[in-house]
Amino acid sequence: MESPEVRNGMKIYRYDKSTALFQRAAKVIPCGIYGHFSPTPCVPVSAYPFFSARAEGAKFWDVDGNEFVDYMCAYGPMVLGYHHPVVDEAYQVQMRQADANSLASPKMVELAEFMVDMIPIADWAFFAKNGADVTNYATMIARAATGRNKIIAIAGGYHGTTPWMQAPGHHGTIDDDHAHIRRIPWNDFAALERVVAEHPKDVAGFIASPYHHPTFADGEMPAEGYWPKVQQFLKRNGIVFIVDDVRCGFRLHLGGSNELFGFKPDLICFCKAIANGYPISALVGTESLKNAAAKVFHTGSFWFSAGPMAAALACLQEMKRIDAPKIIADKGKKLLAGMVEISKAHGFHLKVSGAPSMPYLRITDDESLMLHQQWCGECTRRGAYFTSHHNWFVSTAHTDEDIQRTLEIVDDAFKAVKQKQ
Amino acid sequence: MNESMLKAYLNLHAVLQNLEDLVKLDEEMAQLIKDWELTVEFSVRGGPEAFLEFKKGVCRHGPNAHENPTVKLYFTSAGHLNRMFDGKATPIPLKGFLRLGFLKREFAQLTNRLTYYLRPELGKLDDESYLKPNTVLTLQTALYAVKVLAMLEPTSKEIAAHIPAGVLEVEVLPAGPCLRLAFERSGISVAKGAAKCPMAKMAFKDYRVVHALLTGKLDGFLAVANGDVALQGQLPMVDNLNLILDRVPRYLA
Repeated sequence: MESPEVRNGMKIYRYDKSTALFQRAAKVIPCGIYGHFSPTPCVPVSAYPFFSARAEGAKFWDVDGNEFVDYMCAYGPMVLGYHHPVVDEAYQVQMRQADANSLASPKMVELAEFMVDMIPIADWAFFAKNGADVTNYATMIARAATGRNKIIAIAGGYHGTTPWMQAPGHHGTIDDDHAHIRRIPWNDFAALERVVAEHPKDVAGFIASPYHHPTFADGEMPAEGYWPKVQQFLKRNGIVFIVDDVRCGFRLHLGGSNELFGFKPDLICFCKAIANGYPISALVGTESLKNAAAKVFHTGSFWFSAGPMAAALACLQEMKRIDAPKIIADKGKKLLAGMVEISKAHGFHLKVSGAPSMPYLRITDDESLMLHQQWCGECTRRGAYFTSHHNWFVSTAHTDEDIQRTLEIVDDAFKAVKQKQ
Repeated sequence: MNESMLKAYLNLHAVLQNLEDLVKLDEEMAQLIKDWELTVEFSVRGGPEAFLEFKKGVCRHGPNAHENPTVKLYFTSAGHLNRMFDGKATPIPLKGFLRLGFLKREFAQLTNRLTYYLRPELGKLDDESYLKPNTVLTLQTALYAVKVLAMLEPTSKEIAAHIPAGVLEVEVLPAGPCLRLAFERSGISVAKGAAKCPMAKMAFKDYRVVHALLTGKLDGFLAVANGDVALQGQLPMVDNLNLILDRVPRYLA
């Protein structure tokens, strides 16, 4: 094995063990690593590790022993830091008592009560495992409640990988999967009106994230007045208003991200940050949809596991105690302001979009993203884990030292990119 | 559009254009056409047209009618044309009766050679000197077919609608070929050669990787992770291109 390369006093990472492990994985796992953890969108792929060995706070170490300040936060679930003592303790205590057994846990009731108390629109809560479990459930409830077929979604929006949520033509889907899905552009109220008019009394639900956060593109905030107008229109037309808060939920606002943007949906889907990494998702809804929710049969083998419920309760309580969304936003703003300044000093334009707690960044000097990909790769090889295609995530665990270290890496990575130009 | 008509477009606009490169890749075919001075036009009733121009040892394909072809071949239906591509029918000559002998002998020799490369016989792919032209021509067929499908096939049209505007460059390293697909609001175009300012790049390590991918022997995700395929830029262009590429075998087995 070659010794690590050092440039400007900064170690440039190698991934020999990750690469070797990937070769093993490739023999027994489709894609080697599948889904959103696939190395495919990491460009250049040689700049990225594939497997982590351990994690603590806002950092993880890969199987080669390289240390990273983590700005993907497990793609969102980590919000208070890896191995948070309060959340882990709650989980461990519950696991010693009972996790998956033959009856529901009292923790489920406690968690539902806490969420109903904390989330203004919530009169009830339902628990599952992944985001798609509850986005699916939400659309089923919308159809059960209205007796209608169509679901309107935002073009480029992501609500999981079930066939109806995927774009037409994707492998494993058929044309019929999309027969009742209509996609409209983000922030386009006229398009919403038009589609509803085209399908009189047949639109069951409208599903969207609280702000538009596609991959490979800037995040887009709601236009002034967009959400209240949508809310009124949907109500007037008897259409169930579903917010997919899986990615943003609890990072932007503990009452649901809709509270930040000033509107009230009928159903909100949560996952990711709800339990600081423990597997659980939730759907909350208004009283008017509780009966419809009760009629829809939806369940899963591990949906009643009490450990993740205890972790979720502890996580939400802790986030409320410390006002986590404010802490994360402040840390994000500090990090991003520093990065933009450094980019300017090197003659680059770094555009920040989306919320500071889960920003999407892009070097605008090259529309193709190739320059941006090169820079993210250089940062990652120096220890700041940045992907170029997806929004990043900030947590309460990112310390000032982590941010300072990140800014040093950012500076050195810009130097490297400039040298290669 | 029915499947037969779609296949006729694919045959004339994606398969036939390979003759441009066949005469460069195969010395025997280069010798065969070196003195040809003629243009052959193909025309399907209510369907696609195309021409092949042979001049000074070069073959040029056009996806449209020619203003003054030497030979004009007419097909009464898309099925008629497709059967000819399968070697089971003959066209109706509307012009160039004096060249009928040429069409049956020399021209047929050229098109048979294309079939030889595009439809490998058992064991042939073990021969490296065969594998390379087979792979290059198959890749080109597939990329030209993407344009046809993206314009005419409903599902591919929907997929293409999600492709960001710009040029996607596809290159086989170390020495080509290199093709570029331009996705614009006005439509899609394919051309041979590198792009000036590509929005995305897909580079294959060598033609063996291309062959393994095209024949389903290699998982594309693994190929990227292993460095056998290098991607850069607007990857949604590549993702969506691959979705359409995967639909090509439905029509061109």
